[in-house]
Amino acid sequence: MTPRVKRLFIAVIIVQIVFLLGIVGYRESILALGRTAVLQTVPVDPRDLFKGEHVILRYEISTLGNRIESGSKRYFVRGQFNEGDTVYVSITNVDEHEISYDVQTGGPSDRTDIFIKGKVTSNKDNVITVEYGIEQYFVPEGRGLEIEQADDVKVRVKINRSGVAAIEELIVDGEVWKP
Amino acid sequence: MTEQTPNNDSDQENIQTPSESPDVTEPAATTQDDPRQNWLKGRISQWRESGLISNEQSEAILKFEEVPETPFRLGMRFNRLIVVLSTLGAILIGAGIISFVAANWQGIPAIAKLALLIGGQTATYWVAYQLKFVRGFPKVGGALMFTGAAWFGANVFLVAQSYHLSTNNPDLMIWWFLGILPLAYLARSKAITVMAVGIFTIGISWKTAEIGQNTESAFMVMGSLLLIATALYATGMLHLRRNELKFHAGPYLVIGTLLAIGVTYVLTFDEVFRDSRQGSLQEFQALSGSYIAIGAIISAITIAAVIAAIRNTATSADATLVSKYGESGAIALVIAFGWFAAALPFDSSTPYVIAFNLLLVLLIFGTIVLGIVNKREALVNIGIVFFVIDLSTRYIELTVDMLDTSLAFVVGGILLLGVGYGMERARRKLLQQFGMTEAVNHDS
Repeated sequence: MTPRVKRLFIAVIIVQIVFLLGIVGYRESILALGRTAVLQTVPVDPRDLFKGEHVILRYEISTLGNRIESGSKRYFVRGQFNEGDTVYVSITNVDEHEISYDVQTGGPSDRTDIFIKGKVTSNKDNVITVEYGIEQYFVPEGRGLEIEQADDVKVRVKINRSGVAAIEELIVDGEVWKP
Repeated sequence: MTEQTPNNDSDQENIQTPSESPDVTEPAATTQDDPRQNWLKGRISQWRESGLISNEQSEAILKFEEVPETPFRLGMRFNRLIVVLSTLGAILIGAGIISFVAANWQGIPAIAKLALLIGGQTATYWVAYQLKFVRGFPKVGGALMFTGAAWFGANVFLVAQSYHLSTNNPDLMIWWFLGILPLAYLARSKAITVMAVGIFTIGISWKTAEIGQNTESAFMVMGSLLLIATALYATGMLHLRRNELKFHAGPYLVIGTLLAIGVTYVLTFDEVFRDSRQGSLQEFQALSGSYIAIGAIISAITIAAVIAAIRNTATSADATLVSKYGESGAIALVIAFGWFAAALPFDSSTPYVIAFNLLLVLLIFGTIVLGIVNKREALVNIGIVFFVIDLSTRYIELTVDMLDTSLAFVVGGILLLGVGYGMERARRKLLQQFGMTEAVNHDS
């Protein structure tokens, strides 16, 4: 191996490490600097043999129905949504227990400065499914059922200025869930 | 094809060069299937013919360089054993550490997890580098290097998992591929090249499959996979142009061929098209602008790569049309069928089934013929395997309604035995054509 190739070899390994540290740094920055929101969720399908135990989280804002919720107290769904569209869900606290969501494409609503960005994965019969990148929560072996069998599961997320969300913790039956 | 040089790479497969010196006296104990010996004999013959050395000198050199058969064969097998054992050992250690981290994920502090994963990966690379390039243990070092590349992939997924990011994400595969591809070239590792090209193929197929879930998009995916297959093969052809890259060509050629034939095979079934056409589009499918743009870019790059690969390639005067234009013709055909599959111009399944069955037969025989012409045993094997798969499939399709089940099994069994016998004979003949001999092994 020539000195030049050796240097390149070391550079590639450094790039690999920097890439991994980059993911860590980016996610840590969201958790440290992001704004907090608590989202209601329904955990489903807690097991996957190939990926380790995890819960799949479906949020209130994962399925948006134009017909039902549009214009209601909780949802304001504006415009047409196609598969692959980026949607911006602006979150406004109506009162202590109630949150209102403005859902639209093209950019976040002006009514609030905290919004979460998602991608439309399907739009069938006016029911829109959106993913926000916070649909999986990995748990230690054998602990998935605790979450699945709980009555009330909420997720505390941190959201950065660009609308990227990261899961901070789960709130299971009113208590912060310790892994 | 440029002239073959002797193989000094640790994990390079044995590419054979037929002897170019029929009139050089062969010592009785020389091996027929040693590429180094064959290359040497060819060169000595040329030196002798050009008057550089005498007959006696040529015989003396051959005698001097002669490698007795038994130790050589033993050495080859021992080398393979070292590679297999080292790779298994390295993978077991890596898998043990990674599964320990994964199983105790939440119990290990974040910093310790990160240190364990990244530290383990770096340490593996360091030991691999020391063994492969400094201490003179290329086989064990190569196996560890491969483990390091696999470890990087595991780390990408484990870091994503630690932040609860979706691991159902093809982008992670693409990042893994991008991280290890340069390593394959710098460490001259065919194993890492295979891993990188394989991961790229899975990742890009997965990414393409995410275009949508409806039936038409499934055919767009199939069409794009055919285009990607041609791009991979063309990349392999480009590698063959340069001596220093030739070593890495195999994985691109093999995986490109596998992908093209595999996708074509899926599209030969009537059910695939018949089910999808019910109640769906009855006219020319409107491809989205972005699909056309991306498909056109891939096709254009592939065609440019093929032109670059066949231009200036030294071909001997007696080269046939097949050896000159066979590969480029096959690539052009697969590109055309890629667009055909994506566009779905007909509202009946029949034209598709006929067209893709024809393409499959052409690709199978084309692969075998091009494999023979270009002396690529892997391609010949792929062609033969798909020939058997296709034959069995058509046999089952034909007999499922016509024959009694037990009779169908008996007739099928006899046919398979016949095909097996024919294949063994054909394979032996092919190996002879490649200048290889195969030790007869009575173990079954």
